[in-house]
Amino acid sequence: MLEIRGLKKTFGKYQVLNGLDMTVPDGSLYGFVGPNGAGKTTTIKIMVGLLQADGGSVRLGETLSGAEGWKRHIGYVPDFFGVYDNLKVAEYMEFFAACYGLEGLRARKRCAALLEQIGLEDKVDFYVEGLSKGMQQRLCLARALIHDPEVLILDEPMAGLDPRTRFEFKETLKDLREQGKTIVMSSHVLSELSELCTDVGIMDQGRMALTGNIRDILSQVNSSNPIVITLFGGGTDRALNILKSHPYVHTITVKDQDIIVRFTGDRQDEAVLLQQLIDAGLLVSSFTREQGSLESLFMQITGREEERTVLKYENESGL
Amino acid sequence: MKTNPVYRREMMVSARSLRMPLIITVFNSILAIVALLNMYSNVMQVRLTADVEYGSFLGIYEFVTVVEFIMLMFIMPAITSGTISGERERQTLDLMLTTEMKTWEIVVGKLAAAFVNMFLVVVSSFPLVAVVFVYGGITGKDMLLMLICLVVSALFSGSLGICCSSLFKRSTVSTVAAYAVLALTVVGTYGVNSFAYSMARMDLGQSGYMMGMIGEQAASSGGFLYTLLVNPSVTFLLILQDQTATGNGILEMYGNRGPNLVTDHWVAVSSGVQLALSALFVFIAIKMVRKRGIGRNA
Repeated sequence: MLEIRGLKKTFGKYQVLNGLDMTVPDGSLYGFVGPNGAGKTTTIKIMVGLLQADGGSVRLGETLSGAEGWKRHIGYVPDFFGVYDNLKVAEYMEFFAACYGLEGLRARKRCAALLEQIGLEDKVDFYVEGLSKGMQQRLCLARALIHDPEVLILDEPMAGLDPRTRFEFKETLKDLREQGKTIVMSSHVLSELSELCTDVGIMDQGRMALTGNIRDILSQVNSSNPIVITLFGGGTDRALNILKSHPYVHTITVKDQDIIVRFTGDRQDEAVLLQQLIDAGLLVSSFTREQGSLESLFMQITGREEERTVLKYENESGL
Repeated sequence: MKTNPVYRREMMVSARSLRMPLIITVFNSILAIVALLNMYSNVMQVRLTADVEYGSFLGIYEFVTVVEFIMLMFIMPAITSGTISGERERQTLDLMLTTEMKTWEIVVGKLAAAFVNMFLVVVSSFPLVAVVFVYGGITGKDMLLMLICLVVSALFSGSLGICCSSLFKRSTVSTVAAYAVLALTVVGTYGVNSFAYSMARMDLGQSGYMMGMIGEQAASSGGFLYTLLVNPSVTFLLILQDQTATGNGILEMYGNRGPNLVTDHWVAVSSGVQLALSALFVFIAIKMVRKRGIGRNA
């Protein structure tokens, strides 16, 4: 388990990390999101040993970051691809294998196996600078796996990739997770993270605003989402009268045929409300809770969804 | 034996590039043309005067070693001053720093690759230098001493380049800085001594109790003379002047008041000082790579 406790980092007067806590379970694919400047890259650089924290700790099992052997546990894929001129794919891999003390036949076998795993086995004699961006990114992933690390840390790995390469990259990440690797990945593409990740952490202003299993988080998001009621053949006024008198209804917004209700009750209360509307003779054609998404959650946490809601309420509320 | 991965990669990449074969070809072609012209002029002189001027054959040796020295002093910083900053510009330094490789291995691997490449050029010219053996005057021991001097000079200028490369983010800035420091070391120390020497002569001339030749003989650049210990060209010229028995002792130019332990063993002491400075430059480079690698890109 990768554990970060009370991580602090300041650059000049600017506090980037302000007591960040984060727990990445073994074998999980942890999505790491946050607005620009939230401190994601700084956190990643501290995790891989490129930056020193001002306070707090990063621990993998019993091993503390910076301790002897820490780098052997970590594989790092940055948000750029450093290219060496005049170096072939196999030589690039063997160079990084040598950086971990892996040489000779063992290194060549390991490199060949990894290149096959990421689908670059037919490119071993190609020069690295001549590969496409997608291939370079896959090669970068293979490089990060050369020493068979327990944890793989990827900083925006799919930025700038075409849809097909993104898909292939995601499949490779899923395979790696199935092989038991723990993967921490930062990204701005939230839909991708919600589809791919088992766990998620949302950072804001140098702190972890929300973290946990992605299913649990999304189910919580769902229960706080509004209920959308659609009536057939009118009767909006009668429905509004019922809704206004209901104790769990907080806000009501009427938009075209839909009545959007902020409702804090549980599933049973939802059923009772639906029954009340039907008993009042209203033809309810739709009664659903809006599906939550990581994007809406992200917007709420980082403070932008709230602004939108207030505007909607002021402009359109029937209350 | 485990080879430094950075050194191995650098050698592999440089072996693929056309630069090294081109440098070796051009360098040796120039030396060969000069050697042949020198021999031709000697033969012509024998035909005209019937005298064989053996001393002029040493001209080949002087020319080759001077060119080698200048090349090492000026090309080594150019190669090494882009090594660390180049890795930073290519964004490959971070990748190396996240591996288990030690920072010193990166710096030493880079320096060793540049050094070996340059030394290949020097060694390739040895057959031409060996022409002087036909006529005599230079011994194997002399050549070995010259080789050691060239090694020390190459290490000095190379480590200075790598130090600047670790201090500055951009290769162009680090190259300019490396040449500025080198110019300060080579030209600056001569300048300081010339200035101190002329000031000393003026003081003695004005004091009245020592005039004319006596005053000039008594004048010296004083303690500034020891700043020349860091100047590889002084060491080189002292060795060359001793081997070819040409020119005045360079230290006497600044009123060497010797003898003392340092001036008596100038070559050994200055080589030691320059090696110590090279080690200091490498140490700074290692520290800076560790710090800069860790501290940048917040």
